[in-house]
Amino acid sequence: MQTPDYDGPILEIENLSISFFTRAGEIPAVMDFSCTVQPGEAMGLVGESGCGKSTVALGVMQDLGKAGKIVGGSIKFKGRNLNDMSEDELRALRGSEIAMIYQEPMASLNPAMKIGRQLMEVPMIHEDMPEKQAYDLALDVVESVRLPDPKRMLESYPHQLSGGQQQRIVIAMALMSKPSLLILDEPTTALDVTVEAGIVDLVKNLGEKYGTSMLFISHNLGLVLETCNRLCVMYSGEAVETGSIADVFDKMRHPYTQGLFRSIPLPGADKNSRPLIAIPGNFPLPHERPQGCNFGPRCTYFEAGRCDKGAIQMAEVAGDDRHASRCLKFDEIDWDAQPVVANKTDKTEAGSVCLRVDDLKKYYEVSASALFSGGEKRVVKANESVSLEACEAETLAIVGESGCGKSTLAKVLLGLETATSGGVLLDNNSIGDTQIEQRDTRTVADIQMVFQNPFDTLNPSHTIGAQIIRVLEKFKFGNSNADREQKMLELLDLVKLPRAFAKRKPRQLSGGQKQRIGIARAFAGGPKVVVADEPVSALDVSVQAAVTELLMDIQRESRTTMLFISHDLSIVRYLSDRVMVMYLGHVVESGTTEQVFAPPYHPYTEALLSAVPIADTSVQKKNIVLEGDIPSAMNPPSGCPFQTRCPRKKNVAGSLCETELPPMRTLADGHQIKCHLSQAELDLMEPVIVLTAAE
Amino acid sequence: MEDLTTGQIFAGVIVQFTPVWIGIVVIMGASAYFKQRLSLYGRLFDSPVGMVGLALVLFWALTALFADQIATMDPLEQFRVLKNKPPGTFEPESGIAALLGGDNLGRDVFSRMVWGSVTVMQIAPTATLVALMVGITMGLPAGYYGGYVDTALSFLANLVLAFPVILLFYLLVTPEIRSTVIPTAMASVVFLIPILFVIAMIYSKLYTRPDTLWYFLLPAVLIGLFMYTHLINVWNPTGVWLDANGLNIFVSVVFVTSPAVFRIVRGLTMDIKTRDYVAASQTRGEGPWYIMLWEILPNARGPLIVDACLRIGYTTILLGTLGFFGLGVSPESSDWGMTINEGRKLLRLFPHAALPPALAIMTLVLGLNLLADGLREQSLKD
Repeated sequence: MQTPDYDGPILEIENLSISFFTRAGEIPAVMDFSCTVQPGEAMGLVGESGCGKSTVALGVMQDLGKAGKIVGGSIKFKGRNLNDMSEDELRALRGSEIAMIYQEPMASLNPAMKIGRQLMEVPMIHEDMPEKQAYDLALDVVESVRLPDPKRMLESYPHQLSGGQQQRIVIAMALMSKPSLLILDEPTTALDVTVEAGIVDLVKNLGEKYGTSMLFISHNLGLVLETCNRLCVMYSGEAVETGSIADVFDKMRHPYTQGLFRSIPLPGADKNSRPLIAIPGNFPLPHERPQGCNFGPRCTYFEAGRCDKGAIQMAEVAGDDRHASRCLKFDEIDWDAQPVVANKTDKTEAGSVCLRVDDLKKYYEVSASALFSGGEKRVVKANESVSLEACEAETLAIVGESGCGKSTLAKVLLGLETATSGGVLLDNNSIGDTQIEQRDTRTVADIQMVFQNPFDTLNPSHTIGAQIIRVLEKFKFGNSNADREQKMLELLDLVKLPRAFAKRKPRQLSGGQKQRIGIARAFAGGPKVVVADEPVSALDVSVQAAVTELLMDIQRESRTTMLFISHDLSIVRYLSDRVMVMYLGHVVESGTTEQVFAPPYHPYTEALLSAVPIADTSVQKKNIVLEGDIPSAMNPPSGCPFQTRCPRKKNVAGSLCETELPPMRTLADGHQIKCHLSQAELDLMEPVIVLTAAE
Repeated sequence: MEDLTTGQIFAGVIVQFTPVWIGIVVIMGASAYFKQRLSLYGRLFDSPVGMVGLALVLFWALTALFADQIATMDPLEQFRVLKNKPPGTFEPESGIAALLGGDNLGRDVFSRMVWGSVTVMQIAPTATLVALMVGITMGLPAGYYGGYVDTALSFLANLVLAFPVILLFYLLVTPEIRSTVIPTAMASVVFLIPILFVIAMIYSKLYTRPDTLWYFLLPAVLIGLFMYTHLINVWNPTGVWLDANGLNIFVSVVFVTSPAVFRIVRGLTMDIKTRDYVAASQTRGEGPWYIMLWEILPNARGPLIVDACLRIGYTTILLGTLGFFGLGVSPESSDWGMTINEGRKLLRLFPHAALPPALAIMTLVLGLNLLADGLREQSLKD
């Protein structure tokens, strides 16, 4: 099957159209999609959810299920048309010449089989490799995906590994057959940032080492910038712009691409002087696509009578390398014009301290065995001496990866859990020991929360209006139903949704709209403090900006204190006044945004900053990849919590890091850091992110 | 008079069921017409399996409703001439044909089958409904609180589930036990739970609006009390509702069915309580019963409706089994299980007496299972 002398493009997709056939009729998922992947090239496929990028990947694998069908065009792999191949021929290709890596690693691994067996199966099936040789190869590949102790790895079951390790195994499995084409469908979305950085680094190196071509599917432009040579931006089933990374990032020629870049917080964006510009409107549903340009209704350059006339073809951008755009007007638009910032605002002055957390500890007791609870009790230290102060109208960001204790902190603040020790003061009332049931109405209304998952935040059984009115009833707002009804409609106005939404059920709303309702609900009782737990991370890029701006606007007007929990440092830098970095229940660094984002850093902050992909070609980043995974809170390391992964541990004399928990040191006014590094070492630190080209 | 031919019998049966045919056509036609507005029930009409199931269930439900018109004779009256006579034999005095023949006591098999549906349709759905409420009322706290509450309630449920059902029924329905206070005591507990359930639902939802609360709570309490006193025979001047034997059967069915419902509700609750909207209601200070009844329960309704359909089927079989063992509603009644048992004795000679009730049980249960399948299939879509 192998054709080593083939030297044309690895993958050629020409005018591909894929439709799904459902009860409602034919739904076109991909229309007129073309792209070419040359040997050794990494092609990025970028777009929001529902744009058809995963469907393209499944089309290449010829795995569209019962309802999906290729209705036009061709997919050529090494010159052979995949559409014409028989099931047997395809089976020989899949997993050997074309390999796919999915988002959820655990779903790709068989939980009942040892890792080694699963890896060895690949060459044994495709190449009839003898078992001994397959084992050696597996050992080799596991080593090359940089997993520690490969022999033990091969002997373990998937559930014994962490998420990052599992994804590395999935990549190893894809590499077992030395494929010519690797399809990665959001391979890091389920992982933490620092773990993601490791995988991205690995994927990049593997491409160079084995010369594998890659199709990298992602919604994250920064990630594509780091991994790919070329990219293709998709919108509503169509490719709207394709070209090399440099061309598309710096000389974009499609309004949608431009809109995307303007709606993500890049370094330099600022909530007051340079706010994000959201793309207006919503993503069209497949059966509601407009005539002519799909992006037309949301486009600022839209010209009636021209853009909505008929299908628009891809057109080459003259002078660039294979750079094309699906826009009629790209020659006429002034692409360098700076956007008009409509709502420049002044920095809001922070008021007096409103929320104070003092040396808060939260421990959970877990019995060693569920059956015989008499056994030894283990303690999970979810929060270890957390102290913070938040002022009125201020945004305090709490940054950290999963398991760092940020959600536990939120639970204690909201009264869903009580603190083990330490105090929480809201306006000088102690609330740390008061369960939510014992709090009075005012306190409950004063501290509210915006949840992360828009699909989970509203009860699918009740109408929007009823859910908001219930909140108002609980907060004893108004004297009559009419009062509350009126306030509910005003709240809908506040979050810029039509009043008719009051009668709708959550399933009739898009993710962004649901999140707006979540915000309306949190602000219903005029709260003093709002805890926002990753409120936009599950939303699409173009919607993120709009929801973020809305949140900022409401906060500015109501002078609410906001605790913004996130792992995304780009957005934190954009909107927060002060930042607190947490790791394994400890606050490792805190200070104003400027202080935290500039050296000296805590080594963890430094790694975190380096790990977050930034979609800007003018940014130079230091590459710091952390070893291993976050330790379990059940069994934290001795001494400094970060010592197991710290790249700067070697700079501290002796075994201080392993034996002693570093004290909280104050570096500058308000800037605190929990680290053993000497002042001289800290002073030597260089900034992680440098903007090279001046704009 | 000449006996009826097979064709005539067939035609006669079809004609007798006329009200049922009309009812099915009207109900299904109207539902299919308005299916856009009927959510899950409306979508049932996209599934052929579900429609067949619904038609079968409707057939028996309407048969029970129009039993008086459909049945040709009194199901309890014995005609000596009809004794073990084959289908199509005429009863000379009235000149009416026994469409499906006569049984060993000379009663009309057709009419007995038709009247048998009444017993089933009276007890199976209502008992399942009460069992559902009991199961929900126990399952919600078990799943929501977990810990000791869960351990205790689950142990109780397992205890009931582990006890052999038929033996339990023998115990509950035997005259010795029936004369003790046990059935009444059980009934007074079992029927109290649905009333508490409704009151808890109303109160937890409306206590924030004291002005409207009493408009709902007061009628609920009064109706609940009225039904309660009647059902447990504390105060039953009108003599309607159930007789003592029927009550025993009813309570026993609820008693053995609710633990199964309990388990389903408990599992669903444990899943749903991790959702953000439950956390959202906790953070605005809602009480546990509001969260359980208004945040969690409505989102568990899909699987519960499907389960209820299946469970009505099981209850139908259970009632048949009880009747077969002579534990039926009353020894004389036209209960399907009891009819099968009587027909069984002469099955080899006269199969026509035992077959119709057996087929009736089969079609009803099949219909309920298909209906549940259709509902499940449709609720899983989108």
